[in-house]
Amino acid sequence: MNENLFASFAAPSMMGLPIVVLIVMFPSILFPTPSRLINNRLISIQQWLIQLTSKQMLAIHNQKGRTWALMLMSLILFIGSTNLLGLLPHSFTPTTQLSMNLGMAIPLWAGTVVTGFRYKTKASLAHFLPQGTPLPLIPILVVIETISLFIQPMALAVRLTANITAGHLLIHLIGGATLALINISATTAFITFIILILLTILEFAVALIQAYVFTLLVSLYLHDNT
Amino acid sequence: MLQNLVKSVWVPMKPYYTQAYQEIWLGMGLMSLIVYKIRSADKRSKALKGKIFASSKGGGQKTPSYFLRTRCPMA
Repeated sequence: MNENLFASFAAPSMMGLPIVVLIVMFPSILFPTPSRLINNRLISIQQWLIQLTSKQMLAIHNQKGRTWALMLMSLILFIGSTNLLGLLPHSFTPTTQLSMNLGMAIPLWAGTVVTGFRYKTKASLAHFLPQGTPLPLIPILVVIETISLFIQPMALAVRLTANITAGHLLIHLIGGATLALINISATTAFITFIILILLTILEFAVALIQAYVFTLLVSLYLHDNT
Repeated sequence: MLQNLVKSVWVPMKPYYTQAYQEIWLGMGLMSLIVYKIRSADKRSKALKGKIFASSKGGGQKTPSYFLRTRCPMA
């Protein structure tokens, strides 16, 4: 039972060859490139959603920050589509892997920090000491702010990994419990099945919310540094 | 195929890859450095464990030659 629980998080392979790269590239097929002025329904809906999201997300940014528009929109689309595809039964979700999420978080966070130090060095250094700090607290607060800066990419990656992994594990467990309870008590199995339905609806929401949170935090780090 | 790739990917993305994402390339370099450090530390600790296991099995056994090529952990 223990091995079955974590088997879905193992790196997938087909006939001995790893197919993680193919799985990571798969969501891009669901977003066709618009080739005409007036496109089909799927592309029109996707364009409308992207415009809605990008307007809301880039409203706070200045001209420098808006050069990251493509990166931020690609990020939210990739994480959102990967998380939603992971809710299909027996599928592999790349965002359950900490290596994948660190691979997204560290370059983007480092990019925002380097942007800040490159274009606004004094303001970036000033972030290490909040305004109005009492004199005796300055050394310890600089240390705390430095630690909180370096925790940011870790928190980004671990938040996404933990949320998606926990959701999948819960679905697996409650689904197993429902199956096990069918022969024991039909009423309890039915209640557990209702809980499973509600949890699945929650996981749909969590999949989209986590994509939004990841992208929003990267956007906020960029806003602090531009 | 390469010409098609250049026309469809590199030409539209060139200003992003060369100007907008310079800091992100730096971040990717930092990430690859971290990955390299973690993997080399893991390799070194596995080699050390292998040496300890081999020496505990029998003192007369020859240590694997790959261990001699790795850096001394105390250095």
